[in-house]
Amino acid sequence: MTDAASQTAHRYPIAEQIPQQVLDAEVQKLEGLRRQALPLRLAGYLKLGGPGFMNAALTLGAGTLTATMLAGATFGYRLMWLTWVAMGLGVFMMMAVARFTCRGGFAVVEEQNRYHGWIVGSLMTALVGTVFVAVTFNFGQYSLGTHLMESLTPLLGFEFPRQINWVLYMGLTSWLVLSYGRRAGRGARFVETAMKVGIAIMLVCFGICLVVVGVNWSEALHGLFVPWLPPGGPGLDLFIASSAAAIGVMDWFFFNYAGLARGWGRRHESLARFDIIFGLFIPFILVNFIVASVFAATLFQQGTQPGTAQELAASLVPLLGPTWAPVLFYVGFLAVPITTTVGMSIACAMALHAAMGWQPDTRSWRWKLSALLPQIGFIAVWYPNPIWLIIVIGAFLALTNNIVGWSFFLLLNDRRVLRADRSRSYLWNLGILLQITLLNGVAILYIFNRLGWWA
Amino acid sequence: MIDLEKRIGPWSLRVWGLIANFVGNALALYGAAGVIRDGTRWPLLVIGLLVTALCLLVLAVPAPDLENDRW
Repeated sequence: MTDAASQTAHRYPIAEQIPQQVLDAEVQKLEGLRRQALPLRLAGYLKLGGPGFMNAALTLGAGTLTATMLAGATFGYRLMWLTWVAMGLGVFMMMAVARFTCRGGFAVVEEQNRYHGWIVGSLMTALVGTVFVAVTFNFGQYSLGTHLMESLTPLLGFEFPRQINWVLYMGLTSWLVLSYGRRAGRGARFVETAMKVGIAIMLVCFGICLVVVGVNWSEALHGLFVPWLPPGGPGLDLFIASSAAAIGVMDWFFFNYAGLARGWGRRHESLARFDIIFGLFIPFILVNFIVASVFAATLFQQGTQPGTAQELAASLVPLLGPTWAPVLFYVGFLAVPITTTVGMSIACAMALHAAMGWQPDTRSWRWKLSALLPQIGFIAVWYPNPIWLIIVIGAFLALTNNIVGWSFFLLLNDRRVLRADRSRSYLWNLGILLQITLLNGVAILYIFNRLGWWA
Repeated sequence: MIDLEKRIGPWSLRVWGLIANFVGNALALYGAAGVIRDGTRWPLLVIGLLVTALCLLVLAVPAPDLENDRW
């Protein structure tokens, strides 16, 4: 067995397409980077990272950005601290997932099925937490993406209504989704690069819009570092919901499987940690900060509070001044649903295969159909989001996310699973437990609301 | 040192601890609902917070090595 192969206990089928010499070369490159100066090491890790960026692209979707825009338009800069606190807590659990991937070398749903039963593994983590979420929430991505294309094109001098442009949206996202796992692992790297480009587009385009509207730095810094919540029950609701929404089951699941698909092993753990911080944490915080600041500097000052992402964008655009700034805003915003659709679709295929015990083969029709399942969301072009489905999935999620969190925490501390590589850190465990407590809070509040016990 | 992996009935102590934490969270939120609404249920809020804090501090202890472990 070669060196790199010995670092991974079980090779994930998608990673088996990657030639062994490529995996060995990557491990050698990582070893070389460890001896480099910090800037060179960071640049190297940035190039080799990927699953973290995929997670950021997946998490920065229509729902998250709408919530951020609403927070900026309604409360100005005052809720900015919530983003990094919530994502910061989520990082502890993501580090646990990195441990499962790199040192455990296992697909988490298999281990959950073995030690905690299929209800927790296949049902709660793979089907409810990932597949159902990907399919349902992609309606929102389609609705936003096609609307943005419809709004952008008149600024470029032509009309492209959503009843037609959904074909382009579907074509582009399907092509990217089906590229994953192709060509001996180069497909995965290609999609990861596309996600990095998508995040860069968001940062640049939104960043320029922020320069146009300006930032009140004293208020922004105050909002970033001085916690504030609306008073009473709604404040607590908002804190718990925002904290839980930053990172959830799909992110945990996807980081594990995307890392396995890259052939990550024991020596990739430092890269995985870097990827979580620089690929997921920082881009998520930056994009949210910039978007919230744009709305805090414009709609909040005017006292305008539209309800949907489409209305928020339409209200903002006239305030951006010359044509090129609205164009950049729409282009940056368009990258949000596109990257999320791609990430969620790949996660959906991985989760469906994990739940059913199928071997993932990216060349098979079964993989392709599983990956394209969320494309059913194109119906949102003609019909509104399936509210009843979102309510049902939301209920399942609220009541099961914390159980999946318990399961991950138990796996991390289980001698039978990770042996000497289990968690040995009190602070690491404490961080995960704080996130679990927040997820418990979401489940409890959901029940209290139904019983009429919550104010 | 406490071994949270010791089984008590169907589950380990760590699982029981997670369940106790959940109960503590529920008590704290039920108490908070009363406090926010009409200033009542302070005792429940305090007890819930204490149970939560205790569970978090105990559950965070990593599993110790066993003498017969051969890693």
